[in-house]
Amino acid sequence: MTKVIVSEVWKMYGKVPAVRDLSFSCESGEFLCVLGPSGCGKSSTLRMLAGLEHISAGEITFDGKRINELPPKDRDIAMVFENYALYPHKTVRDNMANALKLRGMPGAEIAQRVERAAAMLQIGQLLDRRPMELSGGQKQRVAIGRAIVRSPKVFLFDEPIGHLDAKLRGHMRGELKRLQRELATTTIYVTHDQLEALSMADRIAVMNEGVLQQIGTPQDIYNHPANEWVASFVGEPPMNFLDAEVVTAGSETDLEVRSGALCVRLSDAHRHRLNGTRGGLRLGIRPEAVQVAAAAPAAGWTSGSIYAVEPLGGDTLVEVAFQGGRVLAKTGADFRGEMDAPIFVTVDSSKVHLFDATNGRALT
Amino acid sequence: MASRDIVTYRTPASVLAGVASAVFVVVFLIWTILPIFIMFVSSIKDLLEAFKLPAVGDWSGIGVFFDFTPTFKHYVDLFTQEKFGTYFFNSVASALGSAAISVVLGSMAAYALSRAEFRGKKDLFFWIISTRMAPVVAVMVPLFAIFRYGGLVGSTPGLIIAYTTFNLPFAIWILKGFFDNVPYEIEEASMVDGSTRLQAFKAIIPLVSPGIGAFLVLCVLFAWNDFLFASIIGSGGAKTLPVATSGLVQPQNIQWGKIMAAGVVTTLPMMLLGLVIRRYLVTGLTMGAVRG
Repeated sequence: MTKVIVSEVWKMYGKVPAVRDLSFSCESGEFLCVLGPSGCGKSSTLRMLAGLEHISAGEITFDGKRINELPPKDRDIAMVFENYALYPHKTVRDNMANALKLRGMPGAEIAQRVERAAAMLQIGQLLDRRPMELSGGQKQRVAIGRAIVRSPKVFLFDEPIGHLDAKLRGHMRGELKRLQRELATTTIYVTHDQLEALSMADRIAVMNEGVLQQIGTPQDIYNHPANEWVASFVGEPPMNFLDAEVVTAGSETDLEVRSGALCVRLSDAHRHRLNGTRGGLRLGIRPEAVQVAAAAPAAGWTSGSIYAVEPLGGDTLVEVAFQGGRVLAKTGADFRGEMDAPIFVTVDSSKVHLFDATNGRALT
Repeated sequence: MASRDIVTYRTPASVLAGVASAVFVVVFLIWTILPIFIMFVSSIKDLLEAFKLPAVGDWSGIGVFFDFTPTFKHYVDLFTQEKFGTYFFNSVASALGSAAISVVLGSMAAYALSRAEFRGKKDLFFWIISTRMAPVVAVMVPLFAIFRYGGLVGSTPGLIIAYTTFNLPFAIWILKGFFDNVPYEIEEASMVDGSTRLQAFKAIIPLVSPGIGAFLVLCVLFAWNDFLFASIIGSGGAKTLPVATSGLVQPQNIQWGKIMAAGVVTTLPMMLLGLVIRRYLVTGLTMGAVRG
């Protein structure tokens, strides 16, 4: 059980900063996902935690102890690599036992620990094989096994399931989450897949271009994105963004946001957030907050036409073109509609996000 | 997965090509094996028997080649009258010595060149291989001067150093490619597991063993078969087998029997080495190819 604190950390490659002034903490036993697109500095961050990269500036502490100068072997971390990095010439058993052997643990205990970890990951029957003879999913389990036999202070995962096929990835998400809870080891998990982050993490740190954008629980990140970039990165299908304008609808306290023909009446809470801002802003609407209907059920619905329909099995994505823009709606599987057919659309005003048009920050 | 076999169809051209390649193989085998066969057979013949030849065009007389009483006297003479035991040892010591030094230094240098980034790396790499561009003869005179100054002429250590100067660039060149093919993550995983940098380097040595094996063979062959270095740098005190064999050709007397026996003594160890290392090389290379 170790608390990790990253404070004001920079990573420079030559003159190019990969990580800028990064600060966050990971509580003891917490599952923290670092989420971001490729090149956002998330892997550099993980490698600095592992000791595989020097820390250009700032400090990282494990339980209050500064680890900047410690080589990887003295940090008591275990890392799972994206390409597994198993020793190709060693059997699964020896791959898993390597770290324990290096620490001079007696053979009997090593055997016992390897067996236990193998049983946990259901790879007991693979122990005498070599990595070459394993499937991707099995290799990945071995890589995790190599990490957990150690009972390290911190687990570092670098996109460990990125190379698996979609079905296996879904399965492994559950397994990894369960495993982490059982072991209760502080875990920092790097991924570019927002679904992995949302489904597994206790908290998510979202990074872009080396800068921490937001850190919070998955619900926080999803429901209250700190800026337009986070809002666009998290969520599948992605959030709709529209250039919009705040206008008064009748009285000064009755505000609407208009984007072309689409208009959303703002709640009191939103009015507070606007804090007097008028004029242009960016409107963010998650597809599930958009409702569609073939005929206008009430006043206030915007008319448009169907641009495209994408049935996904469980639900259907409908892209609606209206005068002045397009919006993606997520609706039920029973939706039927032809291309270019007329349709009506409305937005759940309690679920809209407002962003500053100039700097993309969420208006809060 | 689709079959990797090359699909061929029978055409007159392919039949012809098949016959032609069979003929080529037969001619090639005769061309390669016959000299070795003659050398081996002559080495166990008495001198008079060795020079018995059938008349030109008399194919039935071919039996005279096999009509002899085997004798090992040439071999016995080599190791009693001549000092072929010492020469053999000199050959082995200089070949293995330079191979071992080249492998140790070469793998470390290749590792550094493969993993580290530093200014002038490309130039350094080019310079290393450029030392092999000049023919041995061209550098022999200055090298001889240096070696004489260092008191290394005519000694086995001198020969080992001489071979190493030529094998080391080669080792670096070959092994760098093999290190480049080993993913760095494996070392990183090893360091996270608790290795020091040096232990991590050792951990990936098995992965470049095909390269080391291939290089060892080439290195040993180079030193074993070398004549020029051995005759000049090794002259006198550190005579190796090829030099000693050439010494059997004397102006007034060419000792054919001993020369044939010396040929066998020189060739046989390399053939055995090839046989021993072949299996290992092939398994090693496949492991490298299907890196998991």
